[in-house]
Amino acid sequence: MNPALQAVITIGLGVGGCLVYFYGSNLFLDKVLYPPRGPNAGRNINRANMIRPWLFLFPAIVLLGLYLAYPVVATLWLSLNKQVGTGSEFVGFANYAQMMSEEKFWESMQNNMVWLVVVPAMSTAFGLLAAQLTDRIKWGNIAKSLIFMPMAISFVGASVIWKLVYDSRDAAVAQIGALNAVWMKFEGGIWSVLFLRVLPVVLLLAFAAAVAWVAWGMVRVVLQSDRAVGGLEKLARGLGALVGLWLVYVALSWAFGAVRADLPYGVPQQFLTIPYWNNFFLMAVLIWIQTGFAMVILSAALRGVPEDTIEAAIIDGANPFQVFFKIKVPQIMGTIVVVWTTITITVLKVFDIVLAMTNGQFQTQVLANYMYDKLFRAGDWGVGSASAMVIMLLVMPILVWNVYNARKEMR
Amino acid sequence: MKTRLIAGTAVLALAASGALAQDLKFPVGEGAFNWDSYKAFDEAYNLDGQTITLFGPWRGEDQVLVESMLAYFEAASGVTVNYSSSEGYEQQLIIDAEAGSPPDVAVLPQPGLIAQLAAKGLVLPLAPETSQWLTDNYGAGASWAALGTYPGADGTAALYAFPYKADVKSLVWYSPENFEDAGYAIPATMEELKALTEKIVADGGTPWCIGLGSGGATGWPATDWVEDLLLRTQSPDVYDKWTSHQIPFNDPAIVAAIDEFGWFAKTDANVAGGAAAVASTDFRDSPKGLFSSPPQCYMHRQASFIPSFFPEGTKLGTDADFFYFPAYAGKDLGSPVLGAGTLAFVMKESEAARAFMEWLKTPIAHEVWMAQTGFVTPHTGVNRDLYGSEALKKQGEILANATTFRFDGSDLMPGAVGAGTFWTAMVDFVSGKSAQEVADTVEASWPK
Amino acid sequence: MDNIAGTKSSLTWAVHISVVALVLMWVLPTFGLLVSSFRTGDQIVGSGWWQALSTQEQQLSPIRIEGDEVPKDGGFVIEGGLFDSAGAVISAWGTSSREPSAFAPGAVADLGEGRTLTVSEAGDYLLTSPTTLAGERLPRVFATAATPPEFTTENYNNVLFSPLAGQTIFQAFMNTATVAIPATIIPILIAAFAAYALAWMDFPGRALLIAAIVGLLVVPLQLALIPLLQFHNWIGIGKGYLGIWMAHTGFGLPLAIYLLRNYMVGLPKDIIENAKVDGATDFQIFTKIILPLSFPALASFAIFQFLWTWNDLLVALVFLGTGNDQQVLTGNLVNLMGSRGGDWEILSASAFVSIAVPLAVFFLLQRFLVRGLLAGSVK
Repeated sequence: MNPALQAVITIGLGVGGCLVYFYGSNLFLDKVLYPPRGPNAGRNINRANMIRPWLFLFPAIVLLGLYLAYPVVATLWLSLNKQVGTGSEFVGFANYAQMMSEEKFWESMQNNMVWLVVVPAMSTAFGLLAAQLTDRIKWGNIAKSLIFMPMAISFVGASVIWKLVYDSRDAAVAQIGALNAVWMKFEGGIWSVLFLRVLPVVLLLAFAAAVAWVAWGMVRVVLQSDRAVGGLEKLARGLGALVGLWLVYVALSWAFGAVRADLPYGVPQQFLTIPYWNNFFLMAVLIWIQTGFAMVILSAALRGVPEDTIEAAIIDGANPFQVFFKIKVPQIMGTIVVVWTTITITVLKVFDIVLAMTNGQFQTQVLANYMYDKLFRAGDWGVGSASAMVIMLLVMPILVWNVYNARKEMR
Repeated sequence: MKTRLIAGTAVLALAASGALAQDLKFPVGEGAFNWDSYKAFDEAYNLDGQTITLFGPWRGEDQVLVESMLAYFEAASGVTVNYSSSEGYEQQLIIDAEAGSPPDVAVLPQPGLIAQLAAKGLVLPLAPETSQWLTDNYGAGASWAALGTYPGADGTAALYAFPYKADVKSLVWYSPENFEDAGYAIPATMEELKALTEKIVADGGTPWCIGLGSGGATGWPATDWVEDLLLRTQSPDVYDKWTSHQIPFNDPAIVAAIDEFGWFAKTDANVAGGAAAVASTDFRDSPKGLFSSPPQCYMHRQASFIPSFFPEGTKLGTDADFFYFPAYAGKDLGSPVLGAGTLAFVMKESEAARAFMEWLKTPIAHEVWMAQTGFVTPHTGVNRDLYGSEALKKQGEILANATTFRFDGSDLMPGAVGAGTFWTAMVDFVSGKSAQEVADTVEASWPK
Repeated sequence: MDNIAGTKSSLTWAVHISVVALVLMWVLPTFGLLVSSFRTGDQIVGSGWWQALSTQEQQLSPIRIEGDEVPKDGGFVIEGGLFDSAGAVISAWGTSSREPSAFAPGAVADLGEGRTLTVSEAGDYLLTSPTTLAGERLPRVFATAATPPEFTTENYNNVLFSPLAGQTIFQAFMNTATVAIPATIIPILIAAFAAYALAWMDFPGRALLIAAIVGLLVVPLQLALIPLLQFHNWIGIGKGYLGIWMAHTGFGLPLAIYLLRNYMVGLPKDIIENAKVDGATDFQIFTKIILPLSFPALASFAIFQFLWTWNDLLVALVFLGTGNDQQVLTGNLVNLMGSRGGDWEILSASAFVSIAVPLAVFFLLQRFLVRGLLAGSVK
């Protein structure tokens, strides 16, 4: 059968089937099973109302259970077993032990940690910046849709786009990759110093200062405030401050590196193979995709900030930066957190970019691709499933936090 | 509206007749093909209406070629073959096989992977007499039969996979005119090859184009280098022990072979773009440097399939040619040849699938492809004059003159190594790690 | 006040400039590929796409002389042109890879054995020989030439209408549409009912269920592949369109329910209560009131799901298969990256064919996308 025709029939069958199910089951409930008539009308209405939600939910629950919950359980089971011949054998945590002993696994963990910090942070920061700036200008909406555009591009398409950007040719011939073309313009003169040393140092120092300020803000509440701070919150704040401290350290050491680095001017760079830094060139692709998402949500949140708080601040003599950081940002903190966590989940699941551009080689392995590698290339179900469970474990805090929020909302 | 409808049918009719016209590449009965084998098969099998799915590694131009061969099978047997492939065909096949929806017949270039599938009981054994048939009808037949023989799920060894289509890997490609322009001669020994490499550098040129990039399989071209060099520095016996893990991967002999590769690839002046470019240059782009102006390199070591990736219009023999990747004169190891090939195996029982395996034995199944391009066969019953080009014929000679023939080692190793850590290790090696370091990593990853 | 106005206008300028810079950073990578897709293969590798509008002077790959020899003056000559199209201007040429620019245009090169070759500025060559050239290898010409900018739609013509690997992009395009459309519509319907139940019906375990759905949002898809394909084979649907529709429906549900529930919760409570007082059943409330009111959220999720199914590669590889009548666009593109990895003209054109539909959908419907998204995340 022609697939297109088949598709039309499926749409008809699927949609029709769903409607028939929902309509029919409701009808059955109301007219046959517990009709709200006769002597038991009151009881019947109550019973029908107890059953109806489950009728509405039934298809969704079946599909969710089958397509998402069952695989999680199956994977957990697989991760505790080892394949022997055609059967399998329970081995406890042996697969996990084997995974821990692999260098590639720790490389993936390490890279994933960097991805987890950099991509959500940069996407949110760029998104916030873009949202704030585009809201102030007339052609802001056009600018917004252009920045949002990469969201519509597949990861495969994106990797073709970025492979062209990172392309590298022999120094003797013209560069066709934009990044190398720009790089080849630098030759060590005054502009090179300005752009490749002074500018990064300034940016990094600014970043370090901002992070230090935020980290201090976190600790200050615990140290100074009179209000009682719960133990859990103390812990969270302490952890946050520690992460901040580490970021400050990284930023400072990079700034130091940017001053001292001996840059290979005039040599075309293979951006995807420079150890460590190539991770950042991969992350750039995901940041490029996710910034639009952050921008759209944050822009709406910014518009929701009550005008009077802003006006009051302006009358008090606050400059635009103060208005932005002291008035607007604190009020949309909730939305920032939502955006941040959404992107974090995307980061943990993303593997297409790595697969298409480096396949985890040149020390760019990430967990999702490591798992894919183990499952489908090495055919090692045990270790593959174990790494899948590690990914689940990493999203667990977000899961718990989400569930906690959802419950709070319910009350 | 009516005219449009008519035009529509006309287009459909055209498309249909077009499909028919391209069905059979060479008219049956014409030329020096072994049409008798075709007719015999035609008479023996009548499976009209049956369908098999065939999953293989051939895409792009190769897919057109394999489909031209399949057309004859379809015409002779009446079976409809649905051929498909994908970029990550190994992973795809594993997923399908594990989940219980394998193709009827699959073709893979990795005996190691087939062995892995066979051990899980996912591959069906071939008819018992096939093993003897291979020994009798293939050049160096016993070694080909051995490539397809693995222990099954119950532990007993049987022939599971049928080798079809070989590749010669020990080839160095070059542009004859660039050699003439510069006055270089084709080296007959490894010593001369190394001297030539140094001479080209001294002349201000770049001797080699090496590219390891291959998407998800990045690194594999370097494994061929290492295997070729191992065959030129150690006895074939060491090679066999290495691929079967009787000696560890980090044995000094292997580390030395990796370092030997490093001599070519890790010296900036020896490779186009410098050593840093080796790992990331795509293996498909890499040979293009031979044909650029000025030439980015003079030599490119790669298997017989690589002309598919030469610039459009490149004529083998005139614009490009190859010579045998020579052996050391100083070491008495003869002239070893590294090769590879694809093996077909049945994953789902059906009459049509078995008929297809029988078809692969017929000379015509080989001749149709070899008369075109990119196909070398060890089948001795084929008419060798049919080879589509001088180049193919020459490869056939190299295969025939080999004192030692060994199959691509990475394809013999377990998938975790041969299609995993060995590749990554080679990338790590060219990006800076030492041979000992990377060999240790691979050894540690060998499945226990 | 003047002072403030002054800083304000300079600040506005800074804002404009920053936005321009941001937009450029986000658009240029895609734009570069778009420009490349309209250039010939030689041009793409010869110069960066940003130079597409300027005349390029470069050393071309060697071109072999070809043509039939004609007897003339007791010898033989071959005449012809190096270039297919007019406009290129040769500044130097040669016959050896060692000296690719040994001769000026119009100069006569002595090839030995009495043979001569001359190449004009426009690329016309004349090869003379006292003896016949039949069966011999003809010389190569290394030319340094300035080629004028040239754009072509040939790449699109190639990828759309000539099968490169047994399958045309057009066919892949149809397959993708066949996957994406049902896989967008079915989950919306199922999710809408579930979301209504979770938002407006009271029953024990509701909070737990919502929490579970939020939890399922983060399940990594890859680990579901094998168990589910096993399941599909077990119930007998195997690999095919039915399977991939079901898979996409399952994978899309958590987000769908989450977004729709968040939106529906925010609908005014009194409308629903009034309807209930008037005797409407839940089913009537849902179809008559909730569904029309939730249109922005439904549209938003539809766009999301459509983009995701259209752009998906992994699920299609696993649940659908790779035959010509099944391979989707992304799969086709990945195959091209493999078999034509260095041919940017093919890659860029196919990449653009594959992103054209999502981009169009996106630009046409982005209003809805934003509105529905906001319901899910901004409180």
